[in-house]
Amino acid sequence: MKAVVLSVLVVLVAPVLQVAVVNGLSLPGGHPDVVLVAVVALAPRLRPRPETRGLPERGAAGGGAGAFLGFAAGLAADIAPPADHTIGRLALVMCLAGWVCARVAADGTAGRRAAVAAAVALGATLAGGVLAALLDGTPWGTALAPGAVAWTVGLAALVAAALALLPRRRSFGRVPRSRDSSRDPYARGRRLA
Amino acid sequence: MRAAGRRAPALLALVSAALIAADTVTPLEPLRAFGSAVYGGLEDAASAGVRWASGERRLEELERENARLRADLLAARRTTPSPAQADGYRVASAHVIGFGRDGTVTVDTGSDGGVDRDMTVFDGDGLVGRILRSGPGTATVQLATASGASIGARLEGSREVGLVTGVPERGLLRLSLLNPSAEVKPGDRVVTLGSRDMRPYVPDVPIGTVVTVEPAPDALTRTALVRPFARFTALDLVTVVLGPQPDGAAADASAGEGEAGGGDTDAAKSGSKKAKGA
Repeated sequence: MKAVVLSVLVVLVAPVLQVAVVNGLSLPGGHPDVVLVAVVALAPRLRPRPETRGLPERGAAGGGAGAFLGFAAGLAADIAPPADHTIGRLALVMCLAGWVCARVAADGTAGRRAAVAAAVALGATLAGGVLAALLDGTPWGTALAPGAVAWTVGLAALVAAALALLPRRRSFGRVPRSRDSSRDPYARGRRLA
Repeated sequence: MRAAGRRAPALLALVSAALIAADTVTPLEPLRAFGSAVYGGLEDAASAGVRWASGERRLEELERENARLRADLLAARRTTPSPAQADGYRVASAHVIGFGRDGTVTVDTGSDGGVDRDMTVFDGDGLVGRILRSGPGTATVQLATASGASIGARLEGSREVGLVTGVPERGLLRLSLLNPSAEVKPGDRVVTLGSRDMRPYVPDVPIGTVVTVEPAPDALTRTALVRPFARFTALDLVTVVLGPQPDGAAADASAGEGEAGGGDTDAAKSGSKKAKGA
């Protein structure tokens, strides 16, 4: 329930935050895509059934809610006023990003979630840039501006890690992990790799 | 539930692809109108909050007056007045409330304030762009540096005619003069050519100065890079040209310029409302 409210808030607020606040800041290099960051950070928390929490079996539930969050947020970013690109471009990219995040990062330490969030954010930004160049004729230099990519990936990792660390101690009845393992950012990822 | 969870991502990706295809074939204007209705208001509120927090609210009346004075100045600067109008423009002032990544910005005046598509937008420095579409309370402006923008222009001194297009990655503009043997040198000022019925661009709005002339000995046009006057990353208050001053009002405005602070914009608003009702 809380996750649903959060999702609606993200869909409503993130595009506004993006165009009215973030894009107006004078940051060096570019601006982070806060909509993508929000999707990537929130999608792993949208698993509908806690009991399917084990290793993601092929085709098992999970990912659907993340994909839906991504689609809705992406569509919102597609139509929120100053946008003038092909509708559906961000919806497609973020739908896939939300789905991947929900499938892969639903369990795991803060470090693993951060790593997954960063990887997915990187992939989604690059895919979005390629789509922008192909569909809307955006020059490649602006579509794949390295500054903007770096901001987005960094912020995604940071927010995902913060979200994974904060509420786990309070609710959701998950098994609390020892602080040491959740502090080591690459432990889980390295083992899997 | 599980089946839905399995199929939903593929379905949503398909819907997105369908949206892309549909928008490529025929622009989905209703969806964009819905977007500006929902998110325009939110952006307006967010931006107003930010401005209020930075204590700029008390300046708004001065800003409105400033917009009107800038329009008068622009009209007075015109070197070759056309017979259609000579005594200024009806204008609306607007704040830039959102920056997009497609070479567009949102301003906080929309069709309720008489703003419609293809109207000129400029600020104290120079040309900003044109209105791309307008929602009820907000409008989207295509900046002069956007990759899709092309603006009729001329050199202020020699009156040579050309076309200005955006070079978005460098924040510059490219001027292509129709006359391949035209004289152009760094430092020349570039102004708008003006369009029929003053839409999308009114004439003689300063665009920028030539910084480098591109060497192209056997080209059909002569091209130069132009640095725009307007600072597109720090836009705040802009002026939208709604149209020519109506004949009667033009005389009034030039007679009593000092006393009518908000009068002009009020007249403009009531005028546009009447036009809508008719």
